Amino acid sequence: MFEPVFLAQQALNGLSFGALLFLLASGLTLVFGLQRIVNLAHGAFYMLGGYIGIIIATTTGNLLLAAIVSMIAVGVTALVVELGLLRFVRGQEMPEVLLTIGVMFIIADLCLAIFGGDPKTLPASASIQGAMQIGALTYPWYRIFVIAVAVAIGIALALIQSKTRVGAVVRAGVDDREIISAMGVNISWVFTGMFVVGAALAALGGTIGSGVLSIRPGIQNDVLLYALVVIIIGGLGSIKGAAVGAVLIGLIDAFAKAWIPEFAYFTIFAPMALVLVFRPTGLFGRTA
Amino acid sequence: MTRVRSLNVVGFAAVFVLLFAFPYLGTSGYQVSLASTVLIAAILAATVNFLAGDGGMASLGHGAIAASAAYGAGWASLQGHSVTMQVVLAMGTGIVVTLAYALLSMRTNGIYFLMVTLAVGMVVYGLAYRLSSVTRGENGITGIQRPEFLAEPWAFYLFVVVSFLAVTLALLVVSRSPFGAGLRGIRDSESRMRSLGYYVPAFKLVAFMISGTIASYAGLLSVWHTHFVSPSSAEVHRSVLLIVMVILGGLGTTMGPLVGATIVVLVENVLSNSVERWPTVLGLIFVLAILFARSGLVGSAAKLAKRLRDRKSPGRPPGDPGQLTDTPVSGANPSA
Repeated sequence: MFEPVFLAQQALNGLSFGALLFLLASGLTLVFGLQRIVNLAHGAFYMLGGYIGIIIATTTGNLLLAAIVSMIAVGVTALVVELGLLRFVRGQEMPEVLLTIGVMFIIADLCLAIFGGDPKTLPASASIQGAMQIGALTYPWYRIFVIAVAVAIGIALALIQSKTRVGAVVRAGVDDREIISAMGVNISWVFTGMFVVGAALAALGGTIGSGVLSIRPGIQNDVLLYALVVIIIGGLGSIKGAAVGAVLIGLIDAFAKAWIPEFAYFTIFAPMALVLVFRPTGLFGRTA
Repeated sequence: MTRVRSLNVVGFAAVFVLLFAFPYLGTSGYQVSLASTVLIAAILAATVNFLAGDGGMASLGHGAIAASAAYGAGWASLQGHSVTMQVVLAMGTGIVVTLAYALLSMRTNGIYFLMVTLAVGMVVYGLAYRLSSVTRGENGITGIQRPEFLAEPWAFYLFVVVSFLAVTLALLVVSRSPFGAGLRGIRDSESRMRSLGYYVPAFKLVAFMISGTIASYAGLLSVWHTHFVSPSSAEVHRSVLLIVMVILGGLGTTMGPLVGATIVVLVENVLSNSVERWPTVLGLIFVLAILFARSGLVGSAAKLAKRLRDRKSPGRPPGDPGQLTDTPVSGANPSA
């Protein structure tokens, strides 16, 4: 139970699940930071991305192509949702959130109609085979790859946000929408772009995650729950918070599943409850 | 104004006369049973409506509160307890779960409130699913009997109508009380109410307890209706449908929950026989309602009636003070 190999294995499980959670939560938290809406269709975007990724990977056997196609397809879906629906209720907190619920319903039901109800996973041909071997510890390369992708995406997001002009515009949009509009930036398109990027991140998570968790009806609620817990702990709108929250929840979840499986569902909510009681805006969230 | 109010009272009475008369209008057993389903859903939707309309707190966890009360009754029935004990355990479980919700959510507002209730609801679902020694896991608990005097379907239906009437009136009284006014004050501006000396979390706690207690009662009614409870009754999906009912009917209106519950239950039970993709249909109806009929069917009808009335009596000034008090519909103030 406390052998080093076992502990290392669980820690890696936690980190790889945390990596997946980060891919999910970062899109959600970025959209929230800028637009102040919680996109409850995010889980549905993950699911759609996962299904599309699996289909492309099965036909071509190429994971990179699968990820790109699924990101583009889900990005276009998100663009339609943004321009066709969300723009009409911009700035009204509740209607925006409720609209995303309606979108979640529709996407999840259409996925069931198109892809059927059987759980689907990434085919072995597109996945990375083999396992890493360090002493007595063996660990699948694919999960190491998931961690690497999340770290790369996290570093890329942080660099874009702090070093580029696009990042500067986004940060300015978070701080003061009126001033950035007055300076000639069309903030409405920045919102749209961010919504599409967030959805594409969810699709990337879905494609890569389908090698770890199978995609099935109802997965949209499960992943949404984890992503919400992560961003509540980390603080809405903070990339750093999403990273810390994702690793924390990933590790807690892995060790709880190994040690106290009956209560594993509970354990991720204990830290959330503590954070809510002592710091209602999350670890890295700003006070409104 | 008095004429409008008496018109409302007459309409209100007419709805209930119709509800009471429903089993005697030559309706089939299935229709009466469906009507019970609608009314139980309407009671639940009314509790969500109270919190969201007066308190500005949109809950995504009420389905799970009702389910936990239903599990209380189911467990009592499994242990072979009497009906009294069944009621006590159902309400007790429901109220304890409600307290957990209320304590976790009383310091939050807006989106955070929504997410906390969503998360706690999912915990209830997880418990219902995995704590199989108590809940019998995925199979659920079957064969839960209702009290003798409600055994007949029509008797149960009339009991549900009386319950709905009592809940509607009780929530109306709470909403019109100074407490309700304080709650609306918090909805409109929390910071102002705080600086006026109100202790905001206490108001939210009490409001949630009222709403959750009635939701537990609705859970007990539903288990008496179907004799069955399973984890799917605690799914997020159920709570989302409650929000859909409230928005479709009209947030903050007295009769909105009944109208919304009728539409949703009919789509779910009747339309689903002919249209396989009914969740898509429901999603589309919901999206269209938010885009085009923000104040719901009852709210929009009331607005239309008001416009027609105003046209008839041009003497009245356009800025009727009565209009100002009921304009803010949803949590329109994110930063406050």
